[in-house]
Amino acid sequence: MAVFHRRQVLQAAGFAGLAVLFPPELLAACSTASSPTADGAKGQSFLVLDAHEARVVEEATSRLIPGPDDDPSEAGHPGAREANVTRYIDTMLGALELSPPRIFAGGPFSNRSGWPVDDMAKFLALTPAQVSGWTLRLAGFRARYRAGIKTLDRMAGGDFIAASREKMDEILAQDPGGFMTLLFTHAIEGMYSAPEYGGNAGLAGWHEISWPGDRQPRGYSEDAVSLSDGPDAYVPKGIGAQLLQLLRTSP
Amino acid sequence: MARRALVVGSGPGGSVAAMVLARASWDVTIFEKGANYFTDLSSDRPGTVFSNDELKKSRAFSQPDPSAEPRVFRASPQAQPFTGAVQSLPQTVGGGTVHWDAKTPRLWDIDFKKLSLLGPVPGADIADWPFDYGEISPYYEQIEELIGVAGDVHLFPKKPTLTHAPRTRPLPMAAGPPEYSSLLVSEGCSRVGLHPFLAPMAINSRPYQGRPRCDNCGFCSGYGCPILARVGALAPLREALRSGAELRAGAMVVKIETNGRKATAVDWLDNENERHTESGDLVVLAANAIETARLALLSGLPDPYDLTGRRVMFHWFSEGSGIFLSERLHNYRGRDHTHDIDDFADPDFPGARKAAKVAGLPYFRAGKVELGGTQLPLDEASSYQEILRLLAPQKPFGADFKRLMRSSLLRDRLCGIELIGEDLPYATNRVDLDPTVRDWRGIPVARVTYGPGPSEIAAQAFYMPWLVKLLKAAGADVAISIPELPSSRFPIAQDQVPATEHVMGGMPMGENPRTSVTDPHGRHHHLDNVFVADGAAFPTSGGHNPTLTIMATALRQATTWAASI
Repeated sequence: MAVFHRRQVLQAAGFAGLAVLFPPELLAACSTASSPTADGAKGQSFLVLDAHEARVVEEATSRLIPGPDDDPSEAGHPGAREANVTRYIDTMLGALELSPPRIFAGGPFSNRSGWPVDDMAKFLALTPAQVSGWTLRLAGFRARYRAGIKTLDRMAGGDFIAASREKMDEILAQDPGGFMTLLFTHAIEGMYSAPEYGGNAGLAGWHEISWPGDRQPRGYSEDAVSLSDGPDAYVPKGIGAQLLQLLRTSP
Repeated sequence: MARRALVVGSGPGGSVAAMVLARASWDVTIFEKGANYFTDLSSDRPGTVFSNDELKKSRAFSQPDPSAEPRVFRASPQAQPFTGAVQSLPQTVGGGTVHWDAKTPRLWDIDFKKLSLLGPVPGADIADWPFDYGEISPYYEQIEELIGVAGDVHLFPKKPTLTHAPRTRPLPMAAGPPEYSSLLVSEGCSRVGLHPFLAPMAINSRPYQGRPRCDNCGFCSGYGCPILARVGALAPLREALRSGAELRAGAMVVKIETNGRKATAVDWLDNENERHTESGDLVVLAANAIETARLALLSGLPDPYDLTGRRVMFHWFSEGSGIFLSERLHNYRGRDHTHDIDDFADPDFPGARKAAKVAGLPYFRAGKVELGGTQLPLDEASSYQEILRLLAPQKPFGADFKRLMRSSLLRDRLCGIELIGEDLPYATNRVDLDPTVRDWRGIPVARVTYGPGPSEIAAQAFYMPWLVKLLKAAGADVAISIPELPSSRFPIAQDQVPATEHVMGGMPMGENPRTSVTDPHGRHHHLDNVFVADGAAFPTSGGHNPTLTIMATALRQATTWAASI
């Protein structure tokens, strides 16, 4: 069971739809703001993105999922930059140019949980139906990246990379053409998916959230399934407290 | 020369039918439109490329690609159509039993004789099944043995579970380890007078028929099992292959050829979209309720009373979410969830009759509730992505997002529960062919027109508060319920595409050709050698996971087919 599974089917469903039930003053009270400083971008060669596009993607995704150099409050917490999210996105956009395509990692096991070889490093051949679907999907994504990056540059007065962090945040928050939402979705994938897909470098994304990742063939002991791990209190504060308050006021 | 049987679909129903026919010396060919993610399927322990990979799942690895093979959904004939993923059961070798966490309850006595025992509901087409609980029970037992159901029958509650679904012998395996969060919520259920129990499931708690026991990896519901401790359809499929059946993956049947009252052949497309014809003496439809109706309509199978694809039913899944602040629940380990309650499937649940009366209904039911479960990081992150648009519209990303990910409020501190609601058969809920949208092969796709009736709306309204109540009783610091069904009472569910993977009806069994598509043995009323072996044959949906009943029904039916033609 995926508890909020309906979201995958229709993006407008689930929590987004809950907005209609919350009083506007509560939503207004929930809002926050913050602002950081730093810089980044490196010279790499990419499949689809050109050098400038790659730098825009890197800077933008580092605003969405910031690391220590992007937001002082994230000291000790790697973000999109450290997890190499840009590499993930470029690999996805160019997935069909590689053979086998980088869409579905193999199986049954990686070498992270007691198996000697990484089966997931061998990607799977696609069925013609999958090729058809992904050809359409990736053509759409590429067009949206090309256009979206141009829009970010334009909104920044010519070059997004040259903008201040505050300006970058302001531009991204406007979600021009839905491009921030798309970038964020892909940044999340690059941050928290298996590293075979090109992101989550050094398992930075998983370590950051105490996520053990794939667990075969070791699995978990019966005690690990059935017993409590012991107390681990979460003290509500900041955004977490706001989230809990939002849920408490839901009908 | 052996007679030829052509089976469309390699999921639970088709695999059981193929097993029975192959054992009866039929020359069986199984057509599976999707990919085969297994090797050595006739061996004790096949290989597989399924893995603990959330991105692979979210990219629809085992499901139809929503761009290449979409469906169309409309909430009513006048509503704006949605094109994309609509009730996407896996379409691969193994069918729906690839995605499941293998919960295998039986339907109840009142499900099989709903019209006789509970009575009609105005506006719905309540019908009896052609057999009762007593008659299907031996087939349930055979399937439970075949696929390896684990559970402790003596711990099932007498009321309501064993009263409505009595057992005469133990299951082949004891239950596996209970999950911590399921135990927590079970205690909450007991505190408010409900009857939780360790749910029966086809997941090995010990090595069984050559396959290992479950190692609790946790990537269960929605994921193919990497070690085949959970197989479902692969168990009968193995028997079919060992008895000489042939499996063709990447082979989509697009037409049943008929001559008078007989099917003579199937036309199918290979992965290069080349058309082939295979002649046969018997055709089994088991592509899942939506695709089976689509194939019947594509083939123009006789339908003098306009019944094919009508009365399709989808269990509605209303959800409860409890957040626990004092500890992490590690819900990501184990078999998705391990406990259920059946109380809400009982039409005599305290207060239910009265609430039905107030709603102008003779009675209503919901169904079982699955206690436990959570989401993994990608789904969790998507939840925060959406919530931040509400909480922080001027900057719905950044450090706040990362703090939420570290808090794990909607993953490691979350306990989800799901109510599986019975859906009544309505003639207006139907599958037909979309007039314009086609799949990547150029074949018209299924169009689903669906809306809940007064019974579903009233049952959801009555039981939603219970989801919050039992989570609070379990100690959840915050508990909410999220409805599945759209209605004026729950505007947040407006425009929701039904997402359940429990699809039933459309070619129901029955005596009367004016009200049913197939006869009491699943044979098409107007075609002597065409049979339905999947959930399409269900006259009513019950309030429990349908797969065990699909398999038991296919077993009962297929046993009679060989002799009947």
